[in-house]
Amino acid sequence: MSIRIENLTHIYNKGLSYETKALDDVSLTIEDKEFVGIIGHTGSGKSTLIQHINGILKPESGRIYINDTDITEKGVKLSDIRKRVGLVFQYPEYQLFEDTVEKDIAFGPLNMGLSPEEVDVRVHEAMELVGLDHEEFAGRSPFELSGGQKRRVAIAGVIAMKPEVLIMDEPTAGLDPKAHKDIVEMLVKLHRMTECNILLVSHNMEDVAEIVDKIIVMHRGKVFSQGSPAEIYKERDRLLDIGLEVPQAMLFMKKLEDRGIFVENNVMTMDEAVREIEKLLRKRT
Amino acid sequence: MIRDITLGQYYPGDSFIHRLDPRLKIIATLVYIVALFIMVDFTSYIFTISYMAAVIIISKVPLSFILRGMKPIILILACTFLINLFMIKGGDVLLDMGFLTVTEKGLRTAIFLATRLIMLLIVSSMLTFTTKPIMLTDGIESLLKPFKKIGVPAHELAMMMSIALRFIPTLLEETDKIMKAQLARGADFENGSIIKRAKGLIPILIPLFISAFRRADELAMAMEARCYKGGDNRTRLHSLKFTYRDLIATIATVIMVAALVIQRILM
Repeated sequence: MSIRIENLTHIYNKGLSYETKALDDVSLTIEDKEFVGIIGHTGSGKSTLIQHINGILKPESGRIYINDTDITEKGVKLSDIRKRVGLVFQYPEYQLFEDTVEKDIAFGPLNMGLSPEEVDVRVHEAMELVGLDHEEFAGRSPFELSGGQKRRVAIAGVIAMKPEVLIMDEPTAGLDPKAHKDIVEMLVKLHRMTECNILLVSHNMEDVAEIVDKIIVMHRGKVFSQGSPAEIYKERDRLLDIGLEVPQAMLFMKKLEDRGIFVENNVMTMDEAVREIEKLLRKRT
Repeated sequence: MIRDITLGQYYPGDSFIHRLDPRLKIIATLVYIVALFIMVDFTSYIFTISYMAAVIIISKVPLSFILRGMKPIILILACTFLINLFMIKGGDVLLDMGFLTVTEKGLRTAIFLATRLIMLLIVSSMLTFTTKPIMLTDGIESLLKPFKKIGVPAHELAMMMSIALRFIPTLLEETDKIMKAQLARGADFENGSIIKRAKGLIPILIPLFISAFRRADELAMAMEARCYKGGDNRTRLHSLKFTYRDLIATIATVIMVAALVIQRILM
């Protein structure tokens, strides 16, 4: 599905002394099947932005088109939109409520009015995708699982709805490095298998840079810059100016450059950095 | 949506009212509530309403913010109004609809009682709008001190209250977040029969309870870790002092009450 956002503005606590403009005239386009990373500081408006895409927040002004239907118009069935746009909030494990993992994952599909058989198939699929063994976990209480496992149950609950767009708000926040890596790998696998749009929100570019097709940088409620990882790489000085966390490999290469050692390729990840440095060393000897 | 509830919230400001001694504000609120019930006729409303209006204007809390907090009680208000309107008989009959009649006395009582309720709510919410929770509990603790001798755990009560107040906005925010998350999973809280809607609350209530217990546990741990022990010999960062501002406010309150009492005796 394609998503087009035009001049979106959102204001919290309008009319009060502490009103804040969370989104200020944001316009962007996301193509079908694209894997997009949205990065920015806390308070840059990224969470507010994604909550508009499935109609949970209403904009002050502006339009949102999903496959050319304007979801800000009156009379649009939001429940239909929410079936197609899945949203995994920050710390989604706090929304678990059923007594078994299986029932909790089935909550979304059941709300969609699917048959029990279809729901069962989807629960199996979703659990496999997030890497939870059905036999081992289906009957257990979600509250006795570890943090990383709870997180996967919550994500499976949204994946089971088979959304065409999957939005993830900081899915790796607060996890240990192993669980962190698992989730990132799961996202890549999910994108390859289902070909759905994935919007990955993060405050850390390191997570995003390696896996996405496109990066959108938010700053103070505006789109600061957008483009492919390589294009964003060229703007790293600007990113550093606004104090954004950029990949360590990128920082390292910049330091090399500052000392007059020039690297031609855009280096974003640790692997690329290693390769480039090896090349440089070989040239020298 | 759920963030619209303003009851018990604090409205940041630095007005004359905000800077009053919390003990005085608590007593004045209690006195005012009593005063509302010794009012007899239209003239007494002039005193109480102008006192309330003065408090609102001086505090600079916007009227729209105050009125938003009234929303949850509209239903209760409407019920009391209608019951009084039709049940109380006396004086001229204004409207006759067969089995329901509206009399002059009924209409008068209904209006007076409704305004009284609104004023009760506005004034008590003005107390929390203009007083930081921490100041409020300091005030309560200080007022309860004399009762300590007969075994009232003043400090503990005050601490419990301050924690409860402190967590109202947090839990509201949490509810909002959980509601959104379940909405995104296709939950429906607005349509269907009452039973269906009540069942729809389960996905909100369970996570909310769990998070409330988790927070309580964490808070207890954090307090324990910092060797918190309530009760005697604790000193305060801000000790309460009675200033000229409080004197002015006291005089204003006394004048209002005196006027009411005198008027009542003269009647």
